[in-house]
Amino acid sequence: QNLRGKVSGSDGEPLIGAAVTIVGTTRGASTDGSGNFAIDVKNNETLRFSSVGFISKDVVYSGQKTLNISLVADNKTLNEIVVVGYGSQVKKEITGAVQTIGYKELKDLPVTQIGQKLQGQLAGVQINQTTGQPGKGLNIRIRGQLSVSAGSDPLYVVDGFPITGTIGAMNPDEIEDISVLKDAASTSLYGSRAANGVVLITTKKGKGSGTNVSFNVYTGVQQVPMKGRVKMMDAVQFAQFKKEFYEDAKQPVPAEFQNPSQYAGKNNDWFDALINKNAPITSYNLSITSNKEKSRTSLVAGVLDQKGVVINTDYKRYSLRLNSAYDISDKVTIGFNVAPQLTYDNTPRTDGDRGTGILFNALHTWPIMPIYEADGTTLTKFNRFPASTGNIFAYANWVRSAQELINETTTTNLLTNAFMEYEPIKGLKLKSSINGEILRTKFFFFNPSTATSAINTPIPTTAVSIRQNVENVSWLNENTVTYNKTINEDHKLELLGGYTNQYFRQEFTQVQADTYSDDRLPTIQGAININRGATQSGVQEWALTSFLARATYNYKGKYLLNAAIRRDGSSRFGLNNRWGTFPSVGLGWVVSDEGFMQDIPAVSFMKIRGSFGEIGNNNIGNYTQYALINNTVNGVFGNTVSPGASVSSLANPNLGWEKTRQLDLGLDLNLWNDRVSFTYDYYLKNTSNLLYSVQIAQESGFSNFNDNIGEIKFWGHEFGVNTKNTTGAVKWTTNANISFNRNVVVALAPGIDRVYGTFHITKVGQPFGQFYGLISQGMYKNQADVDNSPKVPGRSFPGTIKIWDANGDGVITYGGNNDDRVIMGNPFPDFIYGITNNVAYKNWDFNVIGSGSYGNQVMVRHIYSTANLDGPFNLLEEVANRWRSESNPGLGKYGTTVGGGNVTGIERDWINSRFISDASYFTIRNITLGYTFTKPSKVYKSLRVYASCQQAFIFTNYWGGPNPEVSSQGNGQGDGGNLSQGIDFSSYPVPRTFTVGANFNF
Amino acid sequence: CTESFLDITPETSLSSVTFFKTQSDFQQAVNACYVPLRTIYNDRSWLLSEMHSDNTYYARNTAFGATEQQEDLADFSIPVSNGLTTNAHVLNQYRQDYLIIARANQILALIDKADFDATEKANLKGQAQFMRGFAYFELYRYFNKAPLQLTPVTTREAAAAKMGTAADLEKIITDDLIGAAANLKPKSTQEAGRATSGAAKTVLANLYIIQKKWAEAEKLMKEVVAEGNYSLIPDYNNVFSTSTANKNNAESVFEVQFQEGSNGFNGTFMYNFLPRPMLESELKTLSGTSNPQPQTGEGNNIPTPDIIAAYESGDLRKDASIGYILCSSTLWEGKTYPIIKKYMKTHSLNGNHGMNWPVYRYSEALLFLAEALNEQGKTAEAATYLNMVRKRAGLANSTATSQADFRTALMQERRVELAFENKRWHDLVRTDTYKAVITARGEAIKKDPFSYYYQRGYTLRSNSFSVIEKYYPMPADEAALNPNIK
Repeated sequence: QNLRGKVSGSDGEPLIGAAVTIVGTTRGASTDGSGNFAIDVKNNETLRFSSVGFISKDVVYSGQKTLNISLVADNKTLNEIVVVGYGSQVKKEITGAVQTIGYKELKDLPVTQIGQKLQGQLAGVQINQTTGQPGKGLNIRIRGQLSVSAGSDPLYVVDGFPITGTIGAMNPDEIEDISVLKDAASTSLYGSRAANGVVLITTKKGKGSGTNVSFNVYTGVQQVPMKGRVKMMDAVQFAQFKKEFYEDAKQPVPAEFQNPSQYAGKNNDWFDALINKNAPITSYNLSITSNKEKSRTSLVAGVLDQKGVVINTDYKRYSLRLNSAYDISDKVTIGFNVAPQLTYDNTPRTDGDRGTGILFNALHTWPIMPIYEADGTTLTKFNRFPASTGNIFAYANWVRSAQELINETTTTNLLTNAFMEYEPIKGLKLKSSINGEILRTKFFFFNPSTATSAINTPIPTTAVSIRQNVENVSWLNENTVTYNKTINEDHKLELLGGYTNQYFRQEFTQVQADTYSDDRLPTIQGAININRGATQSGVQEWALTSFLARATYNYKGKYLLNAAIRRDGSSRFGLNNRWGTFPSVGLGWVVSDEGFMQDIPAVSFMKIRGSFGEIGNNNIGNYTQYALINNTVNGVFGNTVSPGASVSSLANPNLGWEKTRQLDLGLDLNLWNDRVSFTYDYYLKNTSNLLYSVQIAQESGFSNFNDNIGEIKFWGHEFGVNTKNTTGAVKWTTNANISFNRNVVVALAPGIDRVYGTFHITKVGQPFGQFYGLISQGMYKNQADVDNSPKVPGRSFPGTIKIWDANGDGVITYGGNNDDRVIMGNPFPDFIYGITNNVAYKNWDFNVIGSGSYGNQVMVRHIYSTANLDGPFNLLEEVANRWRSESNPGLGKYGTTVGGGNVTGIERDWINSRFISDASYFTIRNITLGYTFTKPSKVYKSLRVYASCQQAFIFTNYWGGPNPEVSSQGNGQGDGGNLSQGIDFSSYPVPRTFTVGANFNF
Repeated sequence: CTESFLDITPETSLSSVTFFKTQSDFQQAVNACYVPLRTIYNDRSWLLSEMHSDNTYYARNTAFGATEQQEDLADFSIPVSNGLTTNAHVLNQYRQDYLIIARANQILALIDKADFDATEKANLKGQAQFMRGFAYFELYRYFNKAPLQLTPVTTREAAAAKMGTAADLEKIITDDLIGAAANLKPKSTQEAGRATSGAAKTVLANLYIIQKKWAEAEKLMKEVVAEGNYSLIPDYNNVFSTSTANKNNAESVFEVQFQEGSNGFNGTFMYNFLPRPMLESELKTLSGTSNPQPQTGEGNNIPTPDIIAAYESGDLRKDASIGYILCSSTLWEGKTYPIIKKYMKTHSLNGNHGMNWPVYRYSEALLFLAEALNEQGKTAEAATYLNMVRKRAGLANSTATSQADFRTALMQERRVELAFENKRWHDLVRTDTYKAVITARGEAIKKDPFSYYYQRGYTLRSNSFSVIEKYYPMPADEAALNPNIK
């Protein structure tokens, strides 16, 4: 018989997509945009109504024509199932620090990267977007984890497969939910790869009932706001500076600068010329989920087409994911998941130091150098003023560089998975899976003779091509047994055992060729010369074999115990040190279930939990244990090249993983019938056996020895709170978090208490990677000030930079034995925080997400050029206000131009506190306003339309550029790794994006 | 099964376990020993030996900063503290020498046990001995002491070696070079560009001369002359190689090998020796390349008025060694600078050339012999060798007849014959004249900065010529890593 009806919440709101199933059969339906359903049902069959977040209800059918059902909201979100390593658990029974974000929270954000969706939403997780290059730049750190030279990225596990690439290019619409595992009890099942935390990504599976089709589309424009851009001199200001430069030096002013006002209206803003004013972005996603008799499938197809805010940036992503599972019998289920993806990325060489990144180049190019020829449309080829004007560097046209240089990466990626699950007796499951990942990256760079991204390179330049092919293949076989048993209703036990093998192989080939006779044919054979030194091939491999086990036990859901262990054998570890064991234990007590708590009705839930365990970091390189022979140390004898070889590294057969011991203490507290829920975690971690390339005396012929040495202590507090501020017609919820992460270096190598980077020091007893340099005290006021103050012998004069004599020896020294450098700043924040507000009223929804960082600093590296007082570059507008005489001392930030490099060089070449900027910020990441049409039309069951703004506002005092989250380390620039965080060389701006979109359900 | 699954050795790089077995392995290892010489001679030697003397100076460019590392060497003002210096060039010279030593140690520790042709083995072993002896000889001349590292380092603890005295170093150098002289092939049969028995004897003679072991030096140099493999090239202009030709010629005893091209074997030293800033049109007259680029920064190794004046009239070597170039965009009002013409050879690629660097030439061997003879009172015999060198330069025989006069004439001859070949500072040190010569030079520059390429109105830095020491202080960065260095 046909039954029709409506499912709504207890407040009368219709429930969309609620499942209506007939117990014991595979028949079912789901509700439409108005909560209505229709289903064929026989008498005495049991109908089950269920919807996420509501308590399901069973009704025995007794012949009626219509049936309206009201479901009670399940306030116990604690009964939510949370994905954890190798399985899932009821949230209430978890003893570790795990945070989950579901599809509901993720879907509202029209952003291209998963990391962007998570910004500000997770306590203890710092996610900085270090560059705005499409598809790149998210630097994710869980609980401030760091290492000297091993990687610090978390382990990403997609549907149980620890992937070897990144998640930057993954289509966010494929994701069902994300769990972030932070403490040792949660992560120890990932053993030697767990120390940086684990991010579990679960993709959409077929669920509900019947077939659901949805289509999501959004389109928008990306812009670079004027606010936050580096304020450089315009043409008139620059000519005025140059005029004063020569006047102050008592030298004749070159004709070009005698009359600065001649440049009025002829300013060339080179940075602005590289910006695409309204860069479009469009995304389409089609999802089909189907739950049929004995089969479940899910398909997500996506297309993303993004132009960048720097001209000639093009990013496209085509992705597909098909997940399917079949019940072969009552006891056997098999599944196949396949996810191919293609991305195409062409980005100009934007980021980097002077001479390598065109944004930095553009900043310091003279604004009197024309971008266009007199006709106003043809780009100039090359800009050069006579050397007599102090133009010691020649400039290419950066707009031409952005347009003509090819810098494209094409990536094809295939993730596959097949599994079989067998349940011979109830509660016992055997599962075996094979996972595969193939990642191919094709990179092509061509620098035609008409353009260059380097300064001081005349046009025509030597045309260069680089071709690079990288192929990664990785497979994983996992075999697990789980056994669930509830004894006497009160004792709940789950046991897990497993054996896994994973293998990875990378092959790469690179060919670099130069000197082309014709820019139109950048083939290898079209080049006159193959660059032997840069033409190479290589292989990287690793293998990992592991045993794992876990026992979970609870008594009445009140006393919780979780114990886990993994044993890893890795090809990366030294021959004498091949196997590592990683145990953990977690305990929990649901205090609110105790009798005595019933007298405190305000407390609806309270759990105290604690965990302790040991985990590892195996990102130590594939062959670091071996002494390698470099066979490219070739000799020349007469006109003959003769192959040469030398030992290039020292062997360490004892080399092993980094070891992290972590303690976590947590409290979950819900008040007033869960109106307010609160989570607190304290953690204490000790990372020892740091993989550290210890500097050794170079009399050995080697500069470093790879060893496990040193120790860093980390600790922190994480607070999260969810509140339901109003219920009823207006539903307003708030979710806020704040985290305090700290670290201190306990030990480095024996006899070594510090490691220097170019701009940083890592010193025992201090936090990791601090900015290191001289402390600037303004300028010497006059000769008397020079005479009475410590100075740089022969280089201190009135108007030059005055520096704190930190060691009190009366002489300012940079480096060496009498160094006056001190710690002058910290790239790590005092705290990070995020706040999300959701308001729903009738069919309207409104969402605001903000996140911030407080107390961290950034080194504005570009001022070594953009405040270069010798005048070879354009300057910060502020430099106009420099020291010119005792009566005209300016801001006290920039010194005299008189005396040349020997005098002015100190303030730019000796790293000092002038380079440091506060980089605290609060960013409104997202504002979205949506409206849902719940009444089905001919075309759709329901439709939601929305308008949204990303990176809406940035509140910051950072003065070095538009992005306070910048860290050149995060995008592969700078002098390497964690030791050198927080340097701004100028990077691709992170745009503000305005989007409109629609979600259709069919 | 599990263990073999985890046994993964690098596929595209050999490991030391499998290397050092065959003749080819040792051949490659020996070739690698020569490689640091390119860095040393392209970037460092001239800074530490020639610009750190009265032969050359830098061409001050006040518009350009970050040049104090080289200026400190030319101005005798390197920072010294507790016998250590932070000067980067001192550090890099030191490290490159030890790179040679470490590579040679690997060979010398294993080659005797390897099984292959004895003649080839001797020739390879001899080259390793030569390279190690030569590298220690450099350290001996610059520092007069150095850590003793004579076996391959395999552990972190073994990296920091004990300090050796001058006497320790002299013994190593002597032993290695005697061994090399015995093992190496002579120039007639050795592959061009490699160390020869003659080269080993010449370096050893140089040590003996520093030690004032005159008879031993005489014996070695007489052997080299008697070999008959060397001769003076009639025209001094042709003694120095071009970018592609005239390498390892009849006069060459030992040269550092460079090759023009993009494979990384090229030199750039010619460019370092240009006054700057220089326009591309001006550079083109020297380099001859089709794509000259403007040169910025500060020029180095510019001949001083002193060396220009040191040539006797009629000396053909003057015009062959020193040229002039108009550098219109410099701030120095003189505009036309002298340059080291010996090394200014046209080539094809901008910033990339293949001229070899002459380390020892036969004319120096003759002058060594003359010096050794004169110091033993055999002045008349010595004159025949000195006059061979003078005759080629278009000069009359030396008029010096007394031992003392001859000594003066010989050092003068060395100065002009070997100008800009990194000999001058070492000669000033071994004759103990460095203090007087450099002090006088400092006064001359301070008195007339303009003649030493300073802009009018500019003076020397106040700490110039304040650190005139016989030997370089040890590098501070290495002292931080090796507690034995003090």
